[in-house]
Amino acid sequence: MSRIKRHGTDGSLLSSLPWTLASLALALLPHVIYLPVWISAAFLACGLWRYMIEKRRAALPSTWIRAALALACFLGVLFEYQTISGVGPGSALLAIMASLKLLETRKRRDQFVLLFIAIFLVMSALLREQYLWSLPYLVVAMIFIMTAWLRMSAAASESIRRSFATGGRLLLYAAPIAIVMWVFFPRISSPFWAVPIDTSSGVSGLSSTMSPGDISSLSLSNEVAFRVRFDSQIPAARDLYWRGLVLHQFNGRSWKGSEPSMGRRAAQQIEVRGEPVRYRITMEATRQHWVYALDIPYQWDLHKTRMSAQQVLARDFPIDQRIAYQVESYTDYRAGADMNDFVRDRYLALPDSSNRRTAELARQMRRDAGSDGAFINALLALFHDEDFYYTLQPPPLGRNPVDNFLFDTRRGFCEHYASAFTVMMRSAGIPARIVLGYQGGELNPLGNYMIVRQSDAHAWAEVWFAGRGWVRVDPTAAVAPERIELGIAESMFDGIGLEWGLSAPSKFLHQMQLRWDAMNAQWNDWVLGYGPEKQNAFMGLLGMDNPSWRKMLLTLITLVIGLILLISGILALRYRPPPPDRATILYRRFVAKTGHQLSIGESPAAFAMRASTGSRLSADTILDITNSYQEARYGGVDALALQRLETQVAAIP
Amino acid sequence: MQGGNTLEELPLGKSTERAALAAAQAALGRIILGKDEQIELALSCLLARGHLLIEDLPGLGKTVLAHALAVVLGLSYRRIQFTSDLLPADIVGVSIFRKESGEFEFQPGPVFSQLVLADEVNRATPKAQSALLEAMEERQVTVDGTTRALPNPFFVVATQNPADQIGTFPLPESQLDRFLMRLELGYPNEENERELITGKDRRAMLEEVVAETSPEILLALQEAASQVHMSDALVDYIQALVRQTRESPDIDIGLSPRGAQALAAAAKAHAFIRKHSGVFPDDVQAVFATVAGHRLKAAGGAHYRSASELCQHVIDSVDIP
Repeated sequence: MSRIKRHGTDGSLLSSLPWTLASLALALLPHVIYLPVWISAAFLACGLWRYMIEKRRAALPSTWIRAALALACFLGVLFEYQTISGVGPGSALLAIMASLKLLETRKRRDQFVLLFIAIFLVMSALLREQYLWSLPYLVVAMIFIMTAWLRMSAAASESIRRSFATGGRLLLYAAPIAIVMWVFFPRISSPFWAVPIDTSSGVSGLSSTMSPGDISSLSLSNEVAFRVRFDSQIPAARDLYWRGLVLHQFNGRSWKGSEPSMGRRAAQQIEVRGEPVRYRITMEATRQHWVYALDIPYQWDLHKTRMSAQQVLARDFPIDQRIAYQVESYTDYRAGADMNDFVRDRYLALPDSSNRRTAELARQMRRDAGSDGAFINALLALFHDEDFYYTLQPPPLGRNPVDNFLFDTRRGFCEHYASAFTVMMRSAGIPARIVLGYQGGELNPLGNYMIVRQSDAHAWAEVWFAGRGWVRVDPTAAVAPERIELGIAESMFDGIGLEWGLSAPSKFLHQMQLRWDAMNAQWNDWVLGYGPEKQNAFMGLLGMDNPSWRKMLLTLITLVIGLILLISGILALRYRPPPPDRATILYRRFVAKTGHQLSIGESPAAFAMRASTGSRLSADTILDITNSYQEARYGGVDALALQRLETQVAAIP
Repeated sequence: MQGGNTLEELPLGKSTERAALAAAQAALGRIILGKDEQIELALSCLLARGHLLIEDLPGLGKTVLAHALAVVLGLSYRRIQFTSDLLPADIVGVSIFRKESGEFEFQPGPVFSQLVLADEVNRATPKAQSALLEAMEERQVTVDGTTRALPNPFFVVATQNPADQIGTFPLPESQLDRFLMRLELGYPNEENERELITGKDRRAMLEEVVAETSPEILLALQEAASQVHMSDALVDYIQALVRQTRESPDIDIGLSPRGAQALAAAAKAHAFIRKHSGVFPDDVQAVFATVAGHRLKAAGGAHYRSASELCQHVIDSVDIP
């Protein structure tokens, strides 16, 4: 007697399995670039393996194999990330579990679990990034998953198009509820449910140190740093200095700043003149504390953000998510007029043993100039008149980078000039420091806002005069005035860029880019930027001033229940039983003409028997019509039966 | 009423096979008087490859019907009288040691026949019953580790006496499910009873009857019956009936999916015998009580005198699509 074969698959999932696999693949798609390659490969392998098992009616792998695979994959994730919490390892685990779950998918119930995982994967992609394209992706992915769901129980005759339509319709019913929940769910400024952000992927931007080459490497990045919408007149390009952080410690090669929480009185040391510039900044995540604002910010509405002693705005915690804030700045200002000797020494400090030639030159030029002001002008004139070049690809510098730059290479980007200038100032006894930030920005005429990109990153210097305080001096302006007047983009296209083989992109492409960015800005403003303030304002419009979160939740629940009732009510009202087919219509017409009523459960044959007595129609007519009807409705052969029925019923007087 | 179609129009079944079936039906009608409907249902059960349970009082012709079916259809026939001391080996057979050859030789039991009559099946112990029921389900028996296929066609007619209560082992629902149909014969009418009294002895008549078909023809007929067209509307009807058995407050246990399959198969065979061009609603209704009657369990509070009355109630509460 043959032993019964170990549980083979029965091939019942063969038709719906590709849908499940495709749903999972679609759900994994946004994760792929972040996940280690072996996880994507494992998913593909498991999917293919499972499909072949189903196709060949083979048995699923044994419990031991599955357990070993699960353990190996878990350890793999642990080894890869060193942790299992956070978005990165979390989605990696989810992906690997989905792959392994495939290997024990035996029934439709398991497929349900897989589709749940797919939905969860789609949602977890939003923890990483919520771009404009996330929305169409979400819609497509959800419709696809819903369709896969429907395909599991679809009749073989149901067309794929129909499944898609049903899936889309189901999603459409859910959309109003989702929107209501999104609008009314209470927003809290720092959500307690915030997930640990994936820190494994880098964010480009300025860091808190500066060495030669740091900013020039940024200048090729087209990524958006922040967007600005001006409420008042847009300042001239030469005034568009977006202040970030201040660096004051020099070790001979690189500059370093201090922790941002140095002083709290800095704002009081600012005197402002003229008209303020009012604007709103939507800043991308930087994972840093610095908050960028136009030089110099005077008032801002960002929570937990203070101005340090160096007139730098910093937030108490790193900026992990895109934030938006309103600022009022003055381009004409006077800051830090008082300075004690201790602080003064710090802004004069230079390492003893480096860049000696620079120090020598500075002292000599200062002597020749006679005054601090004349010295600064002489130095800027030196940068302008001598053969100093502004370039994206400066040659490497040696052990004394400032000496090297000033006397040998004379080619540099903004950080070289700012660094050299500040060292010269300090050597001559003038307190000086470096400010890192962005300069300029591109006005997007389509959305009427300014885009500041990483390529606009800039470094400039500030020097201190007794009685005047800190004064901005940008040595780059002396070397390459077009960088400041026109912005980095124009100067790269028109001037130095060509030299390095960078050609201006076509006008059309640039227009498309601007249009896309304008859409993104709107999306950020209205969807991602829907925070506590916007919500409060919106609730005010609805007649609820400063509602408590309890009240909001209650409103939310009431609205959701109401919507569910409304939608199901509409669906119930709109339901129409499928129209009877032609043969049934004709048969009912015939029944009505016999003068008898068709009772429930009475077959046409039984009715004919009953109706043939005591009807005004002849028994033959009744028999003929009944036969034609049964042929047309239930028979499988006679294509002419319906036609016959049509004439027979029409012939009844 | 079932006329209207000529033989040439029918898609399934060669006309010679059709003619053999009609002849068999007529021959059965001559032996078992006034039971045309039951004969038609028994043939439907056979054509749907199902087994038949005849439940009625003694003396109503259960055995004669089974025997007549075998003779008329040209099937090999064995009868097993179920008693409380019946052993599984009495049904499936035993291996006997032959001294001459020095080997065990299998002596096939009565189950190795094309038509097996299991008389008074509820008198035997569950062990013996299950030996038969297993053979019915698997269409093979395993004796001494060797699996032997049963003949094809293989058709079991079991009878049981509903009045007997003492010393019986009623078949549980799960085993009743193995029978495609449960049939009741009922008393003959006056005229037919008179002919039974005055006419020839039925058993003697069976001696004279000749086979109208052969197993090969029967297999072909079975195949043709399974090919009868079933329209979407009729599948809807079957589903509506099944749903009603599950949802009706009068019924505790409704039809299983297997019950629904059985209903469809029996209705197809019935439509085939009636020469319908597809399964018609009255085919479903005709077989419904015999297919569903023994699979349903009426609720405690429901008062129906018989299963067929319950089934009629189900039919009368479902609209025909």
